Amino acid sequence: MEVLIILFPFIAFLLIGLFGRRLGDLPSAIIAVLGSALAFIFSIPALLKALSSPFSVKLYDFISLGSYTLTLGLYFDPLSAITTSLVCFISTLVFIYSIGYMENLFGQWTYKFYAYLSLFLFSMLLIVLSDNLLGMFFGWEGVGLASYLLIGYFHQQKYATNSAFEAFVMNRIGDWLYLFGIFSIFYLFGSLNLLEIFSKVKEIDPNLLGLAVLLLFGGAVGKSGQVPLHTWLPNAMAGPTPVSALLHSSTMVAAGVYMVARLYPVFESAPQSLKVVALIGGITALFASLAATSHTDIKKIIAFSTMSQLGLMFLALGIGDRSSAMFHLTTHAFFKALLFLSAGSIIHAFHHHVHDIYEVGGLKKYMPITYAAFFVAALALAGIFPFAGFWSKDLIIASSYEADFGLGVFVSFVSFLTAYYIFREGFVMFYGPERHKGHFEEEPHEAPSVMLVPMVVLAIGSVVVGFFEGWYMTALKDHKEMHLNIAISSVVIALLGIGLAYLVFVKRVLEPEKLYQSLKPVHTTFKEQFFTERLYHKILAGGYMLYSKVLYTTFERQFIDGLVNGSYVLSSALGSLFKGLQQGRVNLYVLFLLVGFSLLVLITFLGGR
Amino acid sequence: MMQWIAFLFFASMTLLSALGVVFLSNIIYVILSLLSTLVMVAGIFFVAGAELVGALQLLIYAVAIAVFYVLVLTAVPWEKALKKDSHYRIEGVLTFPILLAFYLEIILVFLLGVSVSPKGQIREFIQNLGNTQVVGSILFSKYFFAFELVSLVLLVGMIGAVIVGRKEDKTYEDSTS
Amino acid sequence: MKIVPLEAYLILSVLLFGLGVFGMIVRRNLVAILMSTELALNAVNIAFVGADSHLGLLDGQIFALFIIALAAVEAAVGLGIIVAIFRLRKVESSDELTDMGG
Repeated sequence: MEVLIILFPFIAFLLIGLFGRRLGDLPSAIIAVLGSALAFIFSIPALLKALSSPFSVKLYDFISLGSYTLTLGLYFDPLSAITTSLVCFISTLVFIYSIGYMENLFGQWTYKFYAYLSLFLFSMLLIVLSDNLLGMFFGWEGVGLASYLLIGYFHQQKYATNSAFEAFVMNRIGDWLYLFGIFSIFYLFGSLNLLEIFSKVKEIDPNLLGLAVLLLFGGAVGKSGQVPLHTWLPNAMAGPTPVSALLHSSTMVAAGVYMVARLYPVFESAPQSLKVVALIGGITALFASLAATSHTDIKKIIAFSTMSQLGLMFLALGIGDRSSAMFHLTTHAFFKALLFLSAGSIIHAFHHHVHDIYEVGGLKKYMPITYAAFFVAALALAGIFPFAGFWSKDLIIASSYEADFGLGVFVSFVSFLTAYYIFREGFVMFYGPERHKGHFEEEPHEAPSVMLVPMVVLAIGSVVVGFFEGWYMTALKDHKEMHLNIAISSVVIALLGIGLAYLVFVKRVLEPEKLYQSLKPVHTTFKEQFFTERLYHKILAGGYMLYSKVLYTTFERQFIDGLVNGSYVLSSALGSLFKGLQQGRVNLYVLFLLVGFSLLVLITFLGGR
Repeated sequence: MMQWIAFLFFASMTLLSALGVVFLSNIIYVILSLLSTLVMVAGIFFVAGAELVGALQLLIYAVAIAVFYVLVLTAVPWEKALKKDSHYRIEGVLTFPILLAFYLEIILVFLLGVSVSPKGQIREFIQNLGNTQVVGSILFSKYFFAFELVSLVLLVGMIGAVIVGRKEDKTYEDSTS
Repeated sequence: MKIVPLEAYLILSVLLFGLGVFGMIVRRNLVAILMSTELALNAVNIAFVGADSHLGLLDGQIFALFIIALAAVEAAVGLGIIVAIFRLRKVESSDELTDMGG
């Protein structure tokens, strides 16, 4: 029964992939939506069952290795069951939305898009539900593959294919580390089953375990776009917007956080590794929010915001607060999906020709529902009471103040930046002069209802989900106190950020353009993500190119080609040398026969004696 | 003693005629030298006591094949060949030392080989029955299959010679002539 | 009966054979080359027959018979080829037939 959850998207993938051409694009989209929706419906009873008691579903014996048999199966506990429902819910909404978003592309093999989406969902569910590390790894790779296909979906554009490559390569580095993590876990525990690992975790040397765990965390860094494997995440915006929404809310990047949370007992047993997790998360959170403050691409700002929020989640995991990290992941999925869908709605309104926030303005009166949805999501992201983000982020801020006062200040600063950058984007796009006038003939229009309905549902979710905090914490067997002073202070900080954005971009107390001009070096540094991407391109990729070029010119050109050309030169020289013997005259042939025969007799004679 | 004299005579005549075959330039003289060689070889066969082979040598070789050569010479205008040098002189000079070395080598091998080879017994019945009869009986018993093969080869050779040598219709233009 | 030793036959055979090969090498005329091969074949026959008389066997003579038969075939086919070559190319000297040369 529970297997069906994971099978529905897969069946949808197979159906669309095999018969999509015949079915047509709209039926393919409906199949994808149905697969996802059915998975969601079936995940509800599984969730209720898992809340009362965790259970496993055995699928089949995959590999027998002598005494150890690797069994693939599903494991349902509150964590995985809730995440499954969340993933399916968000995916269903995004799939529905994509019908409207991709409508102008119908008839151009768009069924592929839905096949990839279904594969994406299936892989993510495999990661979430798998009861062993290898099954998780299958999903891990599947997610990487699907994201590659989806990011590069507009494959006629060079930029999109490059971004897809980048995402794939960066993920590959992470996957490689993750694979070695699995090897070392198997070496240490002799098993890949999660429950067996959890039961034995106390017996293992923490230092060795720490190493294995860090390797696993390397996979999470790649998948969740943390520093230093982060460059693919902003560039992944080359894909269609529903993909970005899916990628950033529930399926792809959440996998890293989820994996760390899933293996949390193992991480806890190696406390040193948690510090690394916290450090990476903290760096990424600050780094990405700084980059978001100065970027101008509609989707990239939100992408950096995702990086930053994921960083916060890793930070929370690192300081030992798993439940609030996972709760933040849940709420974040809602409002981040909503943000992307709103951005997609704007892009759709301009027929996919707008990418910069400074190309548009004053959209409030044209697109009121999108406006409302965007600001609900922005308020949730900023952490304003009573929106979802407030509840989850507040928990993280509280835990970080508990852990260390300086850390708390740091997280508060990040949330200040978060409020600032997201409202900057909102204010620039929805208020101010109508910059798009003159560039576009048509007036921007509100999105069709097939796109609006998922947005409204998500907006309601972004408001309501926060109130499930108590229930969520009970499900994860954790208990959180509300810290009134921290709650109030964080709301005030977020309001400060919003106020700053309001002053600068609506009231124009300071001319933002002039401000950016005067602070150009700082601005550029932030915008270029502290030049990490350039660094990778110039030093790593450039160095590799140089290395390849040197090898090409020396080894390939001289040595290997030298061998090939040399054999040709040698054989032609030998040929011209012996060509003189082949005069075509019978007489000379007989002469050679005589010489050869004499030599043969001589050899036989001498050899016989 | 008589045999020795006969052998030496035939042998020297054979070699002399063979030298004529190799070195004479007029093709008519060459044919005549070849004929002489074949007859002298037949004499050697008689000395060795192989009467049947000797007779066949005379019949087939000295008559049939030699006539065949003469016939071909009438078909090919050999006067043209007279205008050219009949030998490759440079190759001849260069080959001569090789030929001498070959002689030395093979003779050495033969002499050494004969001293270790087994000595057979002359069978009584050969003398009783005579050479021809015995050869015939062996030929049609022990070597019957080979004999049939040879007859087949002769047949095929005959057909081949006819096909190769017959006048063809001009089906293609010869580029070299 | 057996006065002439095997060595004499063999040496004669070798000398004749060498002359035949030498003729094949130095002769320019195709017919003459073919005649030189007859010399070599006869040399082999002498060796067979001489060995026969030495060993007191008859198999060598039978082989000599076969060789005579095959020599007849060879002469027929070879001369046929020479006639065909002459008819097609109007040449009969071996240095004008170097199409197989490198």
